[in-house]
Amino acid sequence: MAALTIRGLLSRKVRAILTGLAVLLGVAMISGTYVFTDTINSTFDKVFEDANEGVDVVVSGRSEFDTDQGGVSQEIPESLVDRVKEVPGVLVAAGNVEDTASIFKSNGDQIETGGAPPLLFSRPPERFDPLNYVEGEPPAGPGEVAINKGTADDEGLKLGDRVSLVGRSGRENFLISGLATFGDVESIGGATVSVVTLPRAQALADQRGQVDSIQVAAQPGVTPDELVTRIERVMPDTVEVKTGQQDAQDEADSIQNSLSFLNILLLVFAGIAVFVGAFIIFNTFSITVAQRTKEFALLRTMGASRGQVLRSVMLEALIVGLIASILGILLGIATAQGINALFKALGADLPQEGLVLKGRTVVVALLVGTIVTMVASLAPARRATRVPPLAAMREEAALAAPPTRRRRIFSWALLIIGALAILFALFGGAPAEQALSMLGLGAIALFIAVALLSPRLVPLIAGAVGAPLERMRGVAGRLARENAMRNPSRTAVTAAALMIGLALVTFVSILAAGVKASIDDTVENRMKAELVVLNKDGNFSPISPESATAIRQVPGVGVVSQLKDSQAKVDGVGGKPFGSGIDPRTFDRIWDTDVDEGPANLFSSLRPDQMALEKDFAEANDLNVGDRLKVTTPIGCCGADRKIDLTVPGIFEDKSGLIGDFMVTGPTMTRTFGQRDDDLQFIGAQPGADVDAVQARVERVLERRFPVAEVQNQSEFKESITGGIDQFLALIYALLSLSVIVSLFGIVNTLVLSIHERTREIGMMRAIGTPRKLVRRIVRYESVITALIGAALGLTVGFILGVVTTVALEDEGFLLSIPVASLVVFAILAVIAGVVAAIPPARRASRLNVLEALAYE
Amino acid sequence: MESSSAIVAAKDLHKYFGHGETAVHALDGVTIGFMRGQFTAIMGPSGSGKSTLMHCLAGLDRPTSGAVTIDDVEITTLDDKELTNLRREKIGFIFQAFNLLPVLTAEENITLPLTIAGQDIDHAWVSELIEKVGLTDRRAHRPSELSGGQQQRVAIARALVARPAVVFADEPTGNLDSKSSGEVLRLLRSAVNEFQQTVVMVTHDAEAASIGDRLVVLRDGRICHDGISGDRQQVDELMRTAGVESAPVKG
Repeated sequence: MAALTIRGLLSRKVRAILTGLAVLLGVAMISGTYVFTDTINSTFDKVFEDANEGVDVVVSGRSEFDTDQGGVSQEIPESLVDRVKEVPGVLVAAGNVEDTASIFKSNGDQIETGGAPPLLFSRPPERFDPLNYVEGEPPAGPGEVAINKGTADDEGLKLGDRVSLVGRSGRENFLISGLATFGDVESIGGATVSVVTLPRAQALADQRGQVDSIQVAAQPGVTPDELVTRIERVMPDTVEVKTGQQDAQDEADSIQNSLSFLNILLLVFAGIAVFVGAFIIFNTFSITVAQRTKEFALLRTMGASRGQVLRSVMLEALIVGLIASILGILLGIATAQGINALFKALGADLPQEGLVLKGRTVVVALLVGTIVTMVASLAPARRATRVPPLAAMREEAALAAPPTRRRRIFSWALLIIGALAILFALFGGAPAEQALSMLGLGAIALFIAVALLSPRLVPLIAGAVGAPLERMRGVAGRLARENAMRNPSRTAVTAAALMIGLALVTFVSILAAGVKASIDDTVENRMKAELVVLNKDGNFSPISPESATAIRQVPGVGVVSQLKDSQAKVDGVGGKPFGSGIDPRTFDRIWDTDVDEGPANLFSSLRPDQMALEKDFAEANDLNVGDRLKVTTPIGCCGADRKIDLTVPGIFEDKSGLIGDFMVTGPTMTRTFGQRDDDLQFIGAQPGADVDAVQARVERVLERRFPVAEVQNQSEFKESITGGIDQFLALIYALLSLSVIVSLFGIVNTLVLSIHERTREIGMMRAIGTPRKLVRRIVRYESVITALIGAALGLTVGFILGVVTTVALEDEGFLLSIPVASLVVFAILAVIAGVVAAIPPARRASRLNVLEALAYE
Repeated sequence: MESSSAIVAAKDLHKYFGHGETAVHALDGVTIGFMRGQFTAIMGPSGSGKSTLMHCLAGLDRPTSGAVTIDDVEITTLDDKELTNLRREKIGFIFQAFNLLPVLTAEENITLPLTIAGQDIDHAWVSELIEKVGLTDRRAHRPSELSGGQQQRVAIARALVARPAVVFADEPTGNLDSKSSGEVLRLLRSAVNEFQQTVVMVTHDAEAASIGDRLVVLRDGRICHDGISGDRQQVDELMRTAGVESAPVKG
């Protein structure tokens, strides 16, 4: 029997391949995601290992937790270096600065890093230096810098060229003394590396007398662990002492943590593609089973049991799933490169060094691909077992039975359950993570239910979208419409696969439009500052607080209000809430925020020992005015328990998300949160000043001294925020397009199989003089009608989901905005997709040999 | 004929299709038995119930009332599993449309019932059968490479391979020219003669009917003739008295 199955599969190669493709792409995305993130992780592991080579012990400022932006640790006094040197067993100890500084070429152009950090290192003693100087020498004098060879090659920089580095304190000029590679790692993504002497690094990072860490080498015979214990004894408790190995591990883990979000995001989209693929597998197997009715009946008359029939179909699914998964894993390696290219195109260059294919990747991809294929073909396989032996005696293959009452009830129940799950997720007030998985499960149920129910809609929609075709294109349009309606459930499931992708695209576009509308609204109604200074990179990266001081001197500038942000842990509250550090004296002048409880002058009277709370956050965690909060900051400060006591002076309402969950004063954030950099600097112009002129003057100051920052007016600011959203949207569209491609294979598949069924009919049409062109056209229109049904369903479902979600998020300041133009574009793209998908089947149909087709049985 | 000695027996079979006013009485009290090694042809005009009778006898369809036994097993009350086993062990089928699997060779098609049953293949027996049906030089060919007559000969070998208690043939010559029909009928005849095979054949073809041992004519769901088959003329004569025009000989 197994041999028969394999033989049958081989005889239906085309459909086996098309079915396999549906699984293959999803699996490729899964394995591609793993390969991509594993490769990045292993590259970072290597980078950190290399960085700590020869380092036995690392002394650094203690950090309590990592923020979502990465680790934050406090600087430590350089004087501790001498104290470490005195510890017995220490061979070498050296202070070390790690910061960021952008490189500018002599023509004034900034070297772009594509979202990666422009790293600045102090030159360590030879034995600790992870860099290989492939050209020139390490920086020796105060005017010298070494940069990484990759950057130099990309930017055409040579030894002796003049560059300037812009750190926290402003711009300084250097000559390139050396070009270096980082250990064995060739690419560290888009990151640039500059190495200068320790004092110059301290100056650039604006941390004279402070270092970020102390690297220590042990004398022979002293183990790192032993040395850690000895050094710990003489260090203050604001300092953390680790072995070099542990430190590298911690750094790598921290990167891995921040990458796990990316991993999950990509896997979600891979999952969607697999889900869409499941629809196609289901459909293909359903059609194949229907076409093989006679064969199953014959086997049954010869005494094959239902179990044997079931097993033979399932074995077919197993083989298809397994082979597709194996190929998917191979394609995944290429996909990893594709994902990398995608991120690069969107301005996020991540380091890739060698491709890492882990056993886990292979196992997960194989299991998902194979199991999904088998589960999706279970229903068709069961239908095959219900073929009565008597069917072998009939001339015509039995037509698909109309949906039973039970199936209808099941579909409606599923629809209602899905809708309820979505509504509960949105309005039930469950924690975000639970709400998200509820939303996902609800959407899956909803999609399946719509697919099951849509056969009844097919004649309706086919009539609506087919009628104009018929009017314009006559007989071809009419036949295409009738063909699409001939087997409604087949057309419905084919269209449903496309529906999923389109529904999600629509949903996302409506949410994004809502976010943009609310940003416009916020900037227009809440922002009182005329101008704002922010990082040029478009990612709201930190900017130097020094620029605020410089801008205050610019004529026409009234106030400059600095806004910092960080995260905290609050005793009794889960997670790591985000909050801001504001300048109490100027905040009211630049941003309009409502006070919900507490004094009317809540912001201007905010004291360093206070933490005002956002209304939703306070309510969710049952916190009230007057409460004393025990707060842990990223660097850990300041009491014996490394926590700080802050009281709640009032509650404010902030739907814009600018402030976050809590608000402290800027100085508190600098001192106790270790956040020295600013997020944004708002500028209030002097009354009567010409804002454009002020902007131009500020721009000149920034260009000269702080070229990483730029100044924007309100409408520019709006655009740079929404620009970030557009970029994210582009990423989501790119990822969803995979699902749409999978669903196109579904259309190809269904059409090929349907044409196979209609071979005789097509032969007859050709025999009575139908030109090839017309045959092709009929197939093409059928494809377009199917695609349009998918579009109609997808746009509707996506629209409803989008609107309901927006309404649910109204409290968060979401505004409903329908991106009509985008929706029209989606519909047009669906038509084009339909035309493209029709190419192979139409060609097949038009090339049928008339005589053979007529004789075909 | 007494059912106790019959290999296949039906007792008072009734079969209705549909309900109420529009109900069709396809079988109206048929009682009949088939002896081991007997070649029976069932004839009758369209709608006479001959196909329904065969479907009920073979356990493919359930009678509305009445009993069918095959090899002393009452089959109308069997469940799907038991019917499956029955088909495996006791019944062979030959169809008008041959119904071979296109992906298998002639020989593989012939041994398919054994494969399905998971039985060891008796190669000597299979070779004997292939020789018998005259396909020794065609055993590795696919159905698409065989003529209609050759395909039906494969189907006959397939029906015989598991040595079933009874072979049911449904219009086995319906799709064949007269030469091929003759070959197929002679093969069935010799299976009866040489292997004591019981064959029940439904046919339109007077030529086919005349090769059997026994001729049963159905009309309006009842048996209107049951006797020894004569030659072609006698069959034609019989059919005329039964008010039936036999199908013209194909060719």
